Amino acid sequence: MPKNKWSRHLALPMLSFVLILAACTGDDTSTEESGGETGTDGGQELENGGMYSIDDFSNVKTNEGEAIDGGTITFGLVSDTVFEGTLNWNFYSGAPDAEILEWFDEGLLTWDENYVYTNDGAATYEVSEDGRTFTFKIGDNVNWHDGEPVTAEDWLFAHEVIGNPDYDGPRYNSDFTNIEGMEEYNSGSADTISGIEVIDDKTLSITYIESTPSLLTGSIWSYPLAKHIFGDMSVADISSSPEVRENPIGFGPFKVDSIVPGESVTLTKNEDYWRGEPNLDGVTIKVISSSTVVQELETGGVDLISEFPVDQFPDNAEMSNVEYLGAIDRAYTYIGFKLGTWDAESNTVAYDPEAKMNDVALRQAMWHAVDNATVGERFYNGLRWNATTLIPPSHPEFHDDSNEGRTYDPEAANQLLEDAGYVDTDGDGLREDPEGNPLEINFISMTGGDTAEPLAQYYVQSWEAVGLKVNLEMLEFNSFYDRVGNGGEDDPTVDVFQAAWGVGIDVDPSGLYGANAIYNFARWENEDNERLLAEGRSAESFDLAYRQEVYNEWQQLMVDEVPVFPTLYRAVLSPVNDRVLNYAIGDGTEVYLNELAVSAESPVTAK
Amino acid sequence: MWKLIVRRTLITIPQIIVLSILVFILAQAMPGDALTGLIDPSIDPATIEAMRERLGLNNPWYVQYFEWVKGVLQGDFGQSFRFKMPVSELIGERIINTMWLSLATLVLTYLIAIPLGIISGRFNDTWLDRAITGYTYIGFAAPLFIFALVMLFIFGFQLAWFPTSGSVAPGTEPGTFAYFISKLNHLLLPALSMALITTVSTVQYLRSEIIDTKQKDFIVTARAKGASESRVYNRHVLRNSLLPIAAFFGYEITGLIGGTIFIENIFGYPGMGELFLSSISLRDYSVMTALVLLFGLAAIIGALLSDIILSLVDPRIRIK
Repeated sequence: MPKNKWSRHLALPMLSFVLILAACTGDDTSTEESGGETGTDGGQELENGGMYSIDDFSNVKTNEGEAIDGGTITFGLVSDTVFEGTLNWNFYSGAPDAEILEWFDEGLLTWDENYVYTNDGAATYEVSEDGRTFTFKIGDNVNWHDGEPVTAEDWLFAHEVIGNPDYDGPRYNSDFTNIEGMEEYNSGSADTISGIEVIDDKTLSITYIESTPSLLTGSIWSYPLAKHIFGDMSVADISSSPEVRENPIGFGPFKVDSIVPGESVTLTKNEDYWRGEPNLDGVTIKVISSSTVVQELETGGVDLISEFPVDQFPDNAEMSNVEYLGAIDRAYTYIGFKLGTWDAESNTVAYDPEAKMNDVALRQAMWHAVDNATVGERFYNGLRWNATTLIPPSHPEFHDDSNEGRTYDPEAANQLLEDAGYVDTDGDGLREDPEGNPLEINFISMTGGDTAEPLAQYYVQSWEAVGLKVNLEMLEFNSFYDRVGNGGEDDPTVDVFQAAWGVGIDVDPSGLYGANAIYNFARWENEDNERLLAEGRSAESFDLAYRQEVYNEWQQLMVDEVPVFPTLYRAVLSPVNDRVLNYAIGDGTEVYLNELAVSAESPVTAK
Repeated sequence: MWKLIVRRTLITIPQIIVLSILVFILAQAMPGDALTGLIDPSIDPATIEAMRERLGLNNPWYVQYFEWVKGVLQGDFGQSFRFKMPVSELIGERIINTMWLSLATLVLTYLIAIPLGIISGRFNDTWLDRAITGYTYIGFAAPLFIFALVMLFIFGFQLAWFPTSGSVAPGTEPGTFAYFISKLNHLLLPALSMALITTVSTVQYLRSEIIDTKQKDFIVTARAKGASESRVYNRHVLRNSLLPIAAFFGYEITGLIGGTIFIENIFGYPGMGELFLSSISLRDYSVMTALVLLFGLAAIIGALLSDIILSLVDPRIRIK
């Protein structure tokens, strides 16, 4: 549950990480898995054809049995590395750290299933007429673990630390520069942040420069920093201080009791928790590797886990002691076309109308040529499925269900290419470009996991089937993004690439497809696109229906223009031991960790 | 004698320098850096560039290298980008785990290898010897990481005799007896898995030494003088066969390094090997270079140790 507007910095490094490690220790896991597949798949295939659908999963645990008093559970942090141990929301950068933070600290604001801030969190808010000034009131019973109240001063302090030039974490971004006076404070020309005002102990007001609907969906920094603890430290020292690494503090349902660096954390309940005393006496968090996660679950070594490796699901769908919860991941895989370069001088996209891929018919045809529904079934047993638009269904308010994207239709692909002048003139079965020159398209994709290469090969073959010659190159994560132009230096030999984005809770896609966005890897620029992106975050877009309309239009524009096209949406699965009660994954479920309980002293083990 | 040791030690100095330069060049040649993974549209690319500048990632390799050497000479390996703590502290945390694991593995290796080697050598070409050599062939052929996974599966998960991850039970108070027992308990399975594989070369080595020695003239003489069979083996054969094994000790250390990298990753045991792999994939350069240097040092010192022991036990080496 990443808390900031964009969670990509979580998704991507983690993804890369899992993949790279999978490559290093690839032999052992693949042996295990392929052995399992041949052994058990046969039986399952008979029952359900080996196919699953996210619609069959609930994201809330069914409660069976009565809760017992107290009890403890074990949470498995599935990670092939240890956790970093930067245990403070204001400084953390790794996903495993965030998983631990969830248990003992939280934001002052909560949100509903559409990721819009609600007024039932630790703090409530009011918005001024012009939509720029937010007044927050922190609950009177919200206290730090050491008994000190969480104050407006603490919230201001978090902003001051992140805005400080010595701050060494990754949080200082457009959410902060949108606060009045923040840039002056950051550059040192002001001693205070003029836009933030402490009204009394528990009341804070923040004035933003620009009013946008994004403010309500994650752009407010809601993690206070305990000033009575960190106030005397120099900003550069906070992230490595023992108060962050060894004795972290929060105001969440559990308190940190002890930490074994990198491998485990034990927590005890915070009796003074503002939502009410937690049911459980404590929680143990331990790191487990993705190759042993199934055994840990079966033997009851863990009750809950952070993330289940979806590729192991078909072999373990019948695990008898757990219930699988499922949700739609805020992410999609896509194929992008290189349509220009990055202009580092002016920090904009330099769109190149002469680029090899710059024929919209060619791009449309390449989308029509691939059968993503089959890819999802063959490679992921239905746990990834055909993507239609660039706003995934994890955002049900804005994902346009009626837009079918471009369906698999090789006939249409051939027709499009034919009409655009891509015809086979020399009779080798492959099309030449409209000038009659040989057409060779260079496609790069990332290594990692067992399916990465076969999947990329599948796309190459699909394109070949409509007469396009595509050369595939598989690259390791770092080389891949180097060549795609992560740092602004695009490799001119790359024409097409396959990558993935995790999307933030705010739906605004301008950080990925705007002309000023360095992550607009397609290097695509379009007037309508700029207009729609601006409308989507304008003050008028506070009106939901208006914003939906804007984004529907934008989704259609991307289907027409195809600077990139989405290929697969994804499921996240989370097995939960049968004895666990009151648990849910995803957002806005209104099931909170203090309600978490167990129905037996020890975990149920698999039969 | 001392001359040889001093001379041999001096040779290691250029070895270490070359090693450190190589490590640096290779690290530089890797695509991407610690900030490549920070692909986040809400972070201004200028901020990332500023971080890069501050971390010195934009400097040419030799500038970074000299900065690094300067720090290392003062005992400062820099700051880990990922863990946000000094590398020396981070390694200090992990090196203890790895040391215990290596020590346990060494002890287990010799506990297994010496009796097996002796039996195998003394009774060569019996069924007992064939069984033992059979085991060593399997040991040579089995990849360590697959063997470790099998061990983990059987003893960790099926029989549940040993914990399956971590180096100590969560929440155990450091310094207590329970803490020590828990540490030991977490250590045994990985150490045993590794020892069962690394032991096979020592068994083979010892076996052939014994077979070789027992046909030597002085053994025949001892027998002729009426020495009992056990006296022949314990006093004469064994003493002469064990010395080369002692010399092998240094190289054993080198072998352990590679082994711990696999073992620690499989058993989720937070030691240096685990740290090493993850720092490579995340391009945490300061940690990676410090570790390669340490591993390299251990290998060089291991070889040095072996040479010194060998020169002590085998006078022929000294004459040069």
